[in-house]
Amino acid sequence: MTERRVLVVGAGLAGLAAAVELARAGFASLVVDQAGAPGGAIHRQPLPGVAAHGLPAQRRRWRGLCRAVAASGDRIAILCGHRFAGIDADGVALLAGERSRFMRPAALVLAAGATERVVPVPGWTLPGVTTVGAIQTQLKTGGEAPAGRILLAGSGPLLCAAAAELAAAGNPPVAVVEAGRPFRHAADALALPAGYLAEASAFLARLVVARVPMRCGMRLCGIERRGDALVARAEGGGRHLDFAVDRIGLHDGIRPNGYGAAGTAVPVMLAGDAREALGARAALADGRRVGAALAARLAGRPLPPGTSPVLERERAAQQRLRRIYAHDLGARLAAIGDDTVICRCENRTAGDLRALGDDPTDRELRLRGRFAMGRCQGRFCGEWVRRLRGDAAADAPLGAVRLPALPLPLADLIDAGAPDEDI
Amino acid sequence: MSGAILWNGVPVAFRAGESVASALARAGIHAYGRLPTGQQATVFCGIGQCQGCLVSLDGRLAEACLTPCRDGLGVASAGAGND
Repeated sequence: MTERRVLVVGAGLAGLAAAVELARAGFASLVVDQAGAPGGAIHRQPLPGVAAHGLPAQRRRWRGLCRAVAASGDRIAILCGHRFAGIDADGVALLAGERSRFMRPAALVLAAGATERVVPVPGWTLPGVTTVGAIQTQLKTGGEAPAGRILLAGSGPLLCAAAAELAAAGNPPVAVVEAGRPFRHAADALALPAGYLAEASAFLARLVVARVPMRCGMRLCGIERRGDALVARAEGGGRHLDFAVDRIGLHDGIRPNGYGAAGTAVPVMLAGDAREALGARAALADGRRVGAALAARLAGRPLPPGTSPVLERERAAQQRLRRIYAHDLGARLAAIGDDTVICRCENRTAGDLRALGDDPTDRELRLRGRFAMGRCQGRFCGEWVRRLRGDAAADAPLGAVRLPALPLPLADLIDAGAPDEDI
Repeated sequence: MSGAILWNGVPVAFRAGESVASALARAGIHAYGRLPTGQQATVFCGIGQCQGCLVSLDGRLAEACLTPCRDGLGVASAGAGND
């Protein structure tokens, strides 16, 4: 039997950087990714014949990492088009895809990036309303902006970035509705690292040229379908604005996507945005750090430091960004009416949540309220359920991960056969 | 490879490597059929996390946002039977 490999979930910056460090220390890994090609969310690869996207510095960073992966030879194998469906207490992982299979890895690195946060608003379940990330995915892979009138709304620097990318692709959004007031925080903005400022000014310049209005200090209060159009109403500063559009992108920041990391018999480490949502620069550094730490752990050597100067810098920058985009999230949540859907999977509303009484337990929230019990396992409702109830620990998951961590046809489990020692 | 997928039997062209969701979106198709909850199935997160875009692909349930198109692939609403 060959030595068991490390399973790395996610072939983005963090996952591949971890695999490279493991390879340097002599450990082989299998990197799985659900997409058709490596890249992750940041370096999502375009379809054949579509021009590469991204700034030159970003592309250099990605090419450098790809060279390091290639130099690792057969110590790194990449399996695309397959998804990590969880790992059980005995250390058996399930990979689902064209050829589903079980695997017994020596250890697990979860580098599956981030999940978008979206504050619930009436009408957010309507077809044509997606996350901003979904619009960016279409843009990056297909090289063309979605057709029709687009509105971007929510809060955070990704709104401006996506708006600028849409403008560059020839279809600027009709407006950006930003709940915060980022232009009122000049001191914090100027203290951001130079790379952030350069990116932000490039994006803002594109928005100015394309005449995209930024509606700051406003939030969406509802979306309706009227005929062929989605009509979104924004309010703030004592006024209302209506937008009739074809597509709406919602975004309120990102959170780590660490799903599937239940207690198991083998070492598990989270890397990159899946551990702490700090963005691309930190993901590369964090992947390296985690790869080196896991290699030390597997070899029984002392662990290296748990942080790095890059991580510290990016953490400080992200804190600054949060101050720049700060707004009254509590007021937005308090304005959520009883008929607003909170759980998208099972159509459970804020009214259903409030009807559970003042202090329902997590178990009651799940079993009586059905929150976090649907197909997404609470990825999109968990935080809002916690916040609407006034929980301090807004990020604590509602209940344990249920395996498989994603819906699978039974045939996939049957096809997967017996766990391989190594595949 | 490019060609057409069949959305409820109607050909929808796709580009090589494109996801089912992307091809349907370019054809203006965002509503994937009514779910048992009364909502329409549709793309939301676009990265396989929300499961909102589950459709039947040649009879097998899968996320439209993650599955690449291939010529002649039959795409239909998941329908209430798959809840």
